[in-house]
Amino acid sequence: MAVAVKKWEKTEKNVGVLEFEVGAEQVTEALDQAFKKVVKTVSMPGFRKGKVPRAIFETRYGVEVLYQDALDILLPIAYGQAVREANIIPVDRPEIDVVQFGKGETAVIKATVTVKPEVVLGDYKGLEVEKKDFTVSADQVNEDLANLQKSHAEIVVAGDDVTVDNGDIVFMDFKGFVNGEAFEGGEAENYQLEIGSGLFIPGFEEQLIGVKKGEEKEITVTFPEAYHVKALAGQPAVFQITLHEIKRKQLPALDDEFAKDISEFNSLDELKADIENKLQEKSEQDAKNYVEEAVISKAVENATIEIPQAMIENEIEVLMNDFKQRLQMQGIPFDAYVQFTGASVESLQEEFRGQAESRVRTGLVLEAITAAEGIQASDDEVNAELAKIAESAKMDVERVKSILESRDPQLSNLKNDIQTRKTVELLVSSAK
Amino acid sequence: MLKNPRDIIKRPVITERTTDLMEENKFAFEVDLRANKTEIKKAIEDIFGVNVEKVNTLRVPSKKKRVGRHVGRTSEWKKAIVTLTSDSKPLNFFEGA
Repeated sequence: MAVAVKKWEKTEKNVGVLEFEVGAEQVTEALDQAFKKVVKTVSMPGFRKGKVPRAIFETRYGVEVLYQDALDILLPIAYGQAVREANIIPVDRPEIDVVQFGKGETAVIKATVTVKPEVVLGDYKGLEVEKKDFTVSADQVNEDLANLQKSHAEIVVAGDDVTVDNGDIVFMDFKGFVNGEAFEGGEAENYQLEIGSGLFIPGFEEQLIGVKKGEEKEITVTFPEAYHVKALAGQPAVFQITLHEIKRKQLPALDDEFAKDISEFNSLDELKADIENKLQEKSEQDAKNYVEEAVISKAVENATIEIPQAMIENEIEVLMNDFKQRLQMQGIPFDAYVQFTGASVESLQEEFRGQAESRVRTGLVLEAITAAEGIQASDDEVNAELAKIAESAKMDVERVKSILESRDPQLSNLKNDIQTRKTVELLVSSAK
Repeated sequence: MLKNPRDIIKRPVITERTTDLMEENKFAFEVDLRANKTEIKKAIEDIFGVNVEKVNTLRVPSKKKRVGRHVGRTSEWKKAIVTLTSDSKPLNFFEGA
């Protein structure tokens, strides 16, 4: 297609006017296509639908009616080509101004385009990162082990001479009196209560502590002012209780037996070593993430960019869609969510704004660094990445490649990912 | 006899069929019922400044039409198919003759 860029002129920092021409031949072709589309809907006496000859159609309605349709056909292609030729990267839909357009004429079109902003990079090599300690301490291992122990605790009936302690489960009868009279719902037999669960009126559970099995006791409490039964709220009450049984959680002993029971290991030491290994792995990952985040945010901070509003709006849109999809996966329709939380679409968009801006900024900076350093993804690296994907998807490498290529012939997304990763690696390795 | 050529030739007949006929240098018109072929030939040559080879005419018969319970008839009219000579200049009634 004959598209000639006449002029590319920046009017603002990230906005410019692109003026381009489309050859008369293309205009005619677009008009023909437009006519083919329109003629199907035109009815005229003497002709069946879609059979009206072009010449008669044009004398009757004028060529002008075809212009809009022709532009719709022509513009996307011509604009795309003009953008490539002018070597600019638009980030938003252009505002199109048709200067000249007519049958058999060269079309002149002016597009106001928002382009990718220029990034002025600051320092990004040798950035100083605050050191943080990510080594695994013995305490952490023990803590994990203790948690394991707790989650495998057994509940056993305590002996006769045991008194109630926090965390125990008691079985008891109780009967409550207000002003010497029993009240509804104030009575139960063999009721199961975990001390410290806070299910009962404040003070009740605490007063049970120290009671022996089989013992009877009177407990004096005051119903809270906010109690849900109005008649009882704020009233002092006396409960007569009889304690039947105490059950206590018993932690398993930390020994080889325990290790055998809960894991595939034969000894406690092996279990401990495994826990330590896992913690070690996690902390290494944490440390790596921490350093990466730190250098990236430093590099972003040092760079100056004037981000066009359109880019942020687009990113917000992306985030919104992500969010909607996540809701959908949880089975919540977005509309219902909005209604339920009382949030509006606008308020959500506002919420996403900050995140969107930082994402755009980070992306632009990393891209600029990649370009400045001339970082490329080599074929070997691409193949390695493909192999990795193939392995995790349990598919043939060739198949993975063909699937990806069908969506993205140059595998540019994959290459971008690799480049970005290499850039981050560079930032990290040069950091102090 | 009708004097004014524009009284003889009423309007072109433009349909799928007549647009096809134009390929053969034939043009269809609705003409006055009373006009004969010679008059039509003269009138066409007068109005469009072309050379006419021959004129074929036919009467389009009246038809019964009813709207609800009222029965009526469409008027009968005469159609003329005018063939231009091959050396005639083209006839173009699309450009507001």
